[in-house]
Amino acid sequence: MRQLSTGDRVGLSWRSEIAASILQHLDRVDVVELIAEDYFEAPARRVRALSTLAAQVPLVVHGIGLGLASASPVSEPHLDRLARFVNRARPESWSEHLAFVRAGPIELGHLAAPPRSEATIAGTLANLRRVRAVVGSLPALENVASLLDPPGSDYDEASWLSAIATGSDAHLLLDLHNLYSNAQNFGFEAADYVQRVPVERVSVVHLAGGTWLETDGSSGQSRRLRLDDHLHPVPNAVYALLEEVAFRAPQALTVILERDGKYPPFGELLQELTLAREALARGRARRREAEPVRHAG
Amino acid sequence: MRAEPSDPARLEAFLARLYVDSDARAEFLSDRGRAADAAGLDEAQRSAVVALDAGALELAARSFTHKRQHARALRPQSKRLPWFRRVLAWLYRA
Repeated sequence: MRQLSTGDRVGLSWRSEIAASILQHLDRVDVVELIAEDYFEAPARRVRALSTLAAQVPLVVHGIGLGLASASPVSEPHLDRLARFVNRARPESWSEHLAFVRAGPIELGHLAAPPRSEATIAGTLANLRRVRAVVGSLPALENVASLLDPPGSDYDEASWLSAIATGSDAHLLLDLHNLYSNAQNFGFEAADYVQRVPVERVSVVHLAGGTWLETDGSSGQSRRLRLDDHLHPVPNAVYALLEEVAFRAPQALTVILERDGKYPPFGELLQELTLAREALARGRARRREAEPVRHAG
Repeated sequence: MRAEPSDPARLEAFLARLYVDSDARAEFLSDRGRAADAAGLDEAQRSAVVALDAGALELAARSFTHKRQHARALRPQSKRLPWFRRVLAWLYRA
């Protein structure tokens, strides 16, 4: 079964290593997610080829370098390139992370969780207004994973994310492995987080895998931290969270499996898509069963 | 209008430096308060960074380094220089 009757869709992140396999199995891949920055320096013919791809499978675009969640403004050159790509690729939707990626002259090269404060809420909302003005649309906003609880945080993650989502009117991209990792690293309940964020705003869900790292804690005792590395299979706990989101969300969901390396035989990735569909189906079934109760209440 | 843009930006810059600069990280871990003061952090920010988990900070920094290297390796080799620049680069290669 490919399409779920609810309108939910399940797809993959587009990577050159698995592109041919994706194209061979479009009967089981409902949607494909492109990394915007992969195309910033691509030759024009590679960008033009996206229209051929879009004719075969719906496309969504994912940004990784804007640095939306910051007290500082986004990089205007980066925003211009992103806007050009989004308007050229014409995806169904696009998304970006609630992270900072640069500070003054320092380029982190990846996503860092910012301090969760009034200042970063205000800065992010200002950045989103600028992004909407330049790109013409708002991205779905993704929660990020972190090994370090951002110092200077006055908000817990669910409250901070909710404040930005409601303040900007943006959709959310809920990365369930990021959520799972942060819940493990900082000792909160992931299911509680799902209840507390405005789940009706979630349009896209990311699934991925990760690994455990050992560290010496401040007290000298060894402890484990969860790293979101996109190099391992999706853990069962993440499928359980997907079921929970499908139970709570009234709207159709687009679920993307992210894999960035150590690629297994493609059949294993297809099996992960099947597990995602099954989790969605379980959540939707629970939702249907609960409907009369909700209406009676 | 953003509220007090300088202070939160200063904290982000401080964190960014800890993530990418191993010397700055070592200096911070040897005397956290002094490093925070030198960066001009306010009292609340200073308290927050002084309490940072050193093990998690080191793992986070390693993860950033790995991801930067991975991103560089994946960067498409699409921007081939024109032939005359390739010749010049070859002639003046280090």
